[in-house]
Amino acid sequence: MALTRRHFATGAAAGATFGIVRNARAASEPVRIGILPLVSHAPTIIAQAKGYFAAQGLAARLVTFQAAEPMAVGIASGDIDFGVTAITGGLVSLADKGAVKVIGGSLAEASGVEGQKVLASNAAYAKGLTSLAGLKGRSFAVTTAGSSFEYVAYKAAQKAGFPASDIVLRPLQTIPACIAALKTGQVDAWEMLPSVADPLVAAKVAHAIATVQDFIPGYQVTTVFTSTANINKRREVVQRFLAGLAKGIDDYDAALVTRTMAPKEIDAIVAAVHKYVFAAMPLAKARAHITHGVMRINTGAALNVASVADQLQWLNARKLVPAGSTMQKLVDTSFVKTI
Amino acid sequence: MADDPAPGARVRPVPFRGGGFRPQTNSYVSLAVFIGLILLWEAGSRAGLISPIALPAPSQVLVALADLVRTGMLWKHLSVSLMRLGVGWVLGSILGILVGLLIGLFTIARAALLQLTSALFAVPKIALLPLFIVWFGIGESSKIATILFGSFFPTVIATYSGVDNVDRNLIRMAQSFGLSWGSIVRKIILPGALPAILSGLRISSAIAIVLLVAAEMIGAQFGIGAYILQAGSLFAIDQLIAGVTILAVLGLAISWVIGRAERRFLDWRS
Repeated sequence: MALTRRHFATGAAAGATFGIVRNARAASEPVRIGILPLVSHAPTIIAQAKGYFAAQGLAARLVTFQAAEPMAVGIASGDIDFGVTAITGGLVSLADKGAVKVIGGSLAEASGVEGQKVLASNAAYAKGLTSLAGLKGRSFAVTTAGSSFEYVAYKAAQKAGFPASDIVLRPLQTIPACIAALKTGQVDAWEMLPSVADPLVAAKVAHAIATVQDFIPGYQVTTVFTSTANINKRREVVQRFLAGLAKGIDDYDAALVTRTMAPKEIDAIVAAVHKYVFAAMPLAKARAHITHGVMRINTGAALNVASVADQLQWLNARKLVPAGSTMQKLVDTSFVKTI
Repeated sequence: MADDPAPGARVRPVPFRGGGFRPQTNSYVSLAVFIGLILLWEAGSRAGLISPIALPAPSQVLVALADLVRTGMLWKHLSVSLMRLGVGWVLGSILGILVGLLIGLFTIARAALLQLTSALFAVPKIALLPLFIVWFGIGESSKIATILFGSFFPTVIATYSGVDNVDRNLIRMAQSFGLSWGSIVRKIILPGALPAILSGLRISSAIAIVLLVAAEMIGAQFGIGAYILQAGSLFAIDQLIAGVTILAVLGLAISWVIGRAERRFLDWRS
């Protein structure tokens, strides 16, 4: 099935390059963009709502996923063109097979902006888990092996000066499961974005014991990626997508991070984001969730290459990715500025 | 004499027209189809017709399986999974048969439990995983509970419908011969419901294997389900298919055991 569709798509793309579309930039080029219903995917939603993709001659369609993993596979199979996800074992493995490539940076830890936090359960906190050093010998919730949660645990151990194998990892697959396990004290610690972590701390069901940017400065949490086929065959489309996304990021920054935008415009942005994020809540209630604890997204989708390299080096050392996975296979730095 | 053909009329022999409509299994044919498919798959992968992203070649799956055996991880994964499956499925089946019999035999139990069972059967146990963590923790009990609940409900339904379908004439006859209630249950209802119960167990065992992967979503470091989940999240599809193959073999093995049990316990039917 996937093969047939891919062949069809290749054929269609070849046909397009032949015909009229080539010179007429205004003619809409169809692209499908994968998003997760999270605030960190807001730039894509904003760019779509404000017509930044359309201005680039792209007929963009947003496709909502519930997890990053199927989105990465969807891009590899050619069903989706662009997506945003953390550097995970799955992504690197797909890149190693030559299917996908990271083309830009998205969510990042930035000093001066609230960032991810390491959380301790109430029970563990009472027993002395009050700093990173206390993680030694304790359990730590992760979604899956090779996920960004595990990377943070590894860096925390490194910072506190003990081997990462001293932290007992508990793979729980989903974020709700991690929350449930932390609340009930079945895991001692977890790590999460401020939008989820802060309400837990405020509800007194967990304690924040460290901020991630203190031990992973400039951490490139998520990246923008596309299929290798798109890079090779539709390079110009990739550039136009990133140009549209960059404008979305500017608006996201002005509306939600620095909040320099006029209140009325912020309202419009929040309303647009609400169509996809916390959509099950009424806007008045969702507003607080959308605007709270918003992390920085790199201007112009710039990529922190050193941070990505560090994450790849960890995945290689943990043997969670095919042997010999390299930065050359994972990243294409020709599209955006690098940090 | 009246039936004799008239003299001179041709007698047309009537061939035997019974028989047929009895498909048999032929292990040579099944094996040949299986091997043929694998060879076709391997050839497709080698020729590049099957993308390595879509499916790994069977030989790569074999390598992944060999790695599991060589590192000793196969037994480690299999032993914990078999324990969870065994305890969860056996407990779920015993409880399911008991509750099914209650519903099948007693008006009060039927009134109280039938609708409840139908409602809870439809609840996807995977959706309740976060709650299972709170109720049962992230140790073995939540994993066993997932499998137990999954195999309990189909067994209940198979058992009470089996009881419902026992030939009423047999029961009436036993009553007219003055058999006691207990004796009727033991000698007529239980054997009569057994075919349905065993086919219920066949289904619930498959559901238990399906739920093994869900059960091992909760904080499992070892287990075939955990191995498959990790392979999926790392997009290591050779390991993924290797894990799925192990589950398939497990399903075949359990189905074989139940087939033996059917032959043993249901031989009175033939």
